[in-house]
Amino acid sequence: MTLALPTPREEAWRWSDLSDLEALAVAPATMQAPDGDFHWISKGPRLLFVDGKLDEGRSRIDGIEIGSTGIASGHPLGKLATGTGWTLALHRDGASPPGGPIEIIHVATGGANHLPAHIILAEDAQASIVETYIGDGWANRLTVIEMGRSARLMRAIRIVQDSGFTSLRDEARLDAGASLVTTLLGAGHGSSRIDAAIILDGPGAFAEHGGALLARDDQRHDAAVVLRHARELGTSRQLWRAVADDKATASMAARVEVARDAQKTDAEQSLRGLMLKRTATINLKPELEIFADDVKCAHGATVGELDERGLFYMMSRGIPPERARALLTQAFIADAISRIGDEAARDAFQAEAEQWLEGRS
Amino acid sequence: MLNIENLHAEVDGKSILKGLSLTLNPGEIHAIMGPNGAGKSTLSYVLAGRPGYAVTEGSVTFDGQDLLALAPHERAAAGLFLGFQYPVEIPGVSNVQFLREALNAQRKIRGEEPLSGADFLKRARIQADALGLSMDMLKRPVNVGFSGGEKKRNEMVQMGIIDPKLAILDETDSGLDIDALRTVGDGINRIMRTPDKAVLLITHYQRLLDYVKPDFVHVLAGGRIVRTGGAELAHELEREGYGAIAA
Repeated sequence: MTLALPTPREEAWRWSDLSDLEALAVAPATMQAPDGDFHWISKGPRLLFVDGKLDEGRSRIDGIEIGSTGIASGHPLGKLATGTGWTLALHRDGASPPGGPIEIIHVATGGANHLPAHIILAEDAQASIVETYIGDGWANRLTVIEMGRSARLMRAIRIVQDSGFTSLRDEARLDAGASLVTTLLGAGHGSSRIDAAIILDGPGAFAEHGGALLARDDQRHDAAVVLRHARELGTSRQLWRAVADDKATASMAARVEVARDAQKTDAEQSLRGLMLKRTATINLKPELEIFADDVKCAHGATVGELDERGLFYMMSRGIPPERARALLTQAFIADAISRIGDEAARDAFQAEAEQWLEGRS
Repeated sequence: MLNIENLHAEVDGKSILKGLSLTLNPGEIHAIMGPNGAGKSTLSYVLAGRPGYAVTEGSVTFDGQDLLALAPHERAAAGLFLGFQYPVEIPGVSNVQFLREALNAQRKIRGEEPLSGADFLKRARIQADALGLSMDMLKRPVNVGFSGGEKKRNEMVQMGIIDPKLAILDETDSGLDIDALRTVGDGINRIMRTPDKAVLLITHYQRLLDYVKPDFVHVLAGGRIVRTGGAELAHELEREGYGAIAA
């Protein structure tokens, strides 16, 4: 199969390197599907996908349908995720089943796997979903989200593959007063591309999209997010933290669009990069495109190194230099991860980040 | 306890300390006074091992160990504490986490068992109460949003929790009002005035010395000690200024 993948000559892909994907897609499996138990965070419904296929024996799919999702995308990677996928459809006032968030673990054993997902929340419905990507190979996902009036969805996604590539494409549309909060953590040893197009399509909608991307060795993390305020009184927050060590590259392009009718928009964007070595690369591209005249759009983008004074202060109190660096780096990404609403998930993500920073994972 | 001999040090290639010698014995409190630019802060940073401060000549031994061969965190574990003139703010790391990490890292180097969370909090509460900081403040990020006086009191809380053998206090009195000065002075006496500990107080003014009586006062000028005396020397300096004495 020949893949028609975007190249860095296209502006939206300028910091991506997808050249390995073709080889990854045809590579034989590098690992066995693990048959032991997983460290599930939640006691609620759970889905285990091995190479994009549901492992029924180890899943509890209450309320989730497996089959054709009926979604399609024009996105160069998203459109590859076709066929059988999962759908969560909640009726008016519906809520995801009790026992904690819906938890999904995606295991890749090598090669390529694609999976579409469709999340439909009717008026006032609410759900919380935690997803984890582990293994090797290329995991590619398309998630289409439709949110009715005042619906609420919290998503927490951690990308912790040992190698390979994880590409996620989200397309979301929010009706009036709906709220979508997505928090991502990249703390594995593979590379990633995170793509999202979120449209605030009703008055007073709220969208938050951000997270922390940690990269070392020759890892590449790349996020490209477009948040569009199509209607008035919307609020959006994009808070991203990138950490790059060795020869790694972390890139974040975050765009806010405010349409002519989207008066009283309140948008905030905070992109910060931390370079642990000068051989690393961090690219930040904050973009604002505003056509309304009565809006508040705050934005900030900074790249820096660890504060030498803070490091010495910690060492002078007895903390060894490696630990001091890890603590300061952890502090740097803390506010991005603290956005996760579910406490158990937040703790698990924090521990994952800490482990990465300590170099133990 | 601390033996500094003929210490020469430079910062950014500029020579600051030029042959400083000083000995502190257990149970002694020494004050180092001197005009701005004399090298007071440089001395404290060289002793604590701050990167960028290069020793070009001389030696420093601490309890018989070559202090200059130790990394900053090893100096702390050996019992040396630096009270900063400008305590650093660390957003995202709470005082409690910072201090517990610090204390247990020191204990690990010394081959001691880590302190449990409960024992640590008990110790922290005693020191916070004594210095008028609330435990709520200790749960907040290190020095973030603290006033100048609160930062200095926090230095003393840290000193109390860590319980060092030797404290080097760099202008701990600067930025303190008269009540805070008394609290900090009481803290120094309570924590450090024991027969097995020593203090090096670095100060520009003698007012802290009204609360913490030094056994020796040294005048640092031009990178070396130019005069040594008892507590009365501080008053003489206050009366006559550094000009006459350092000249």
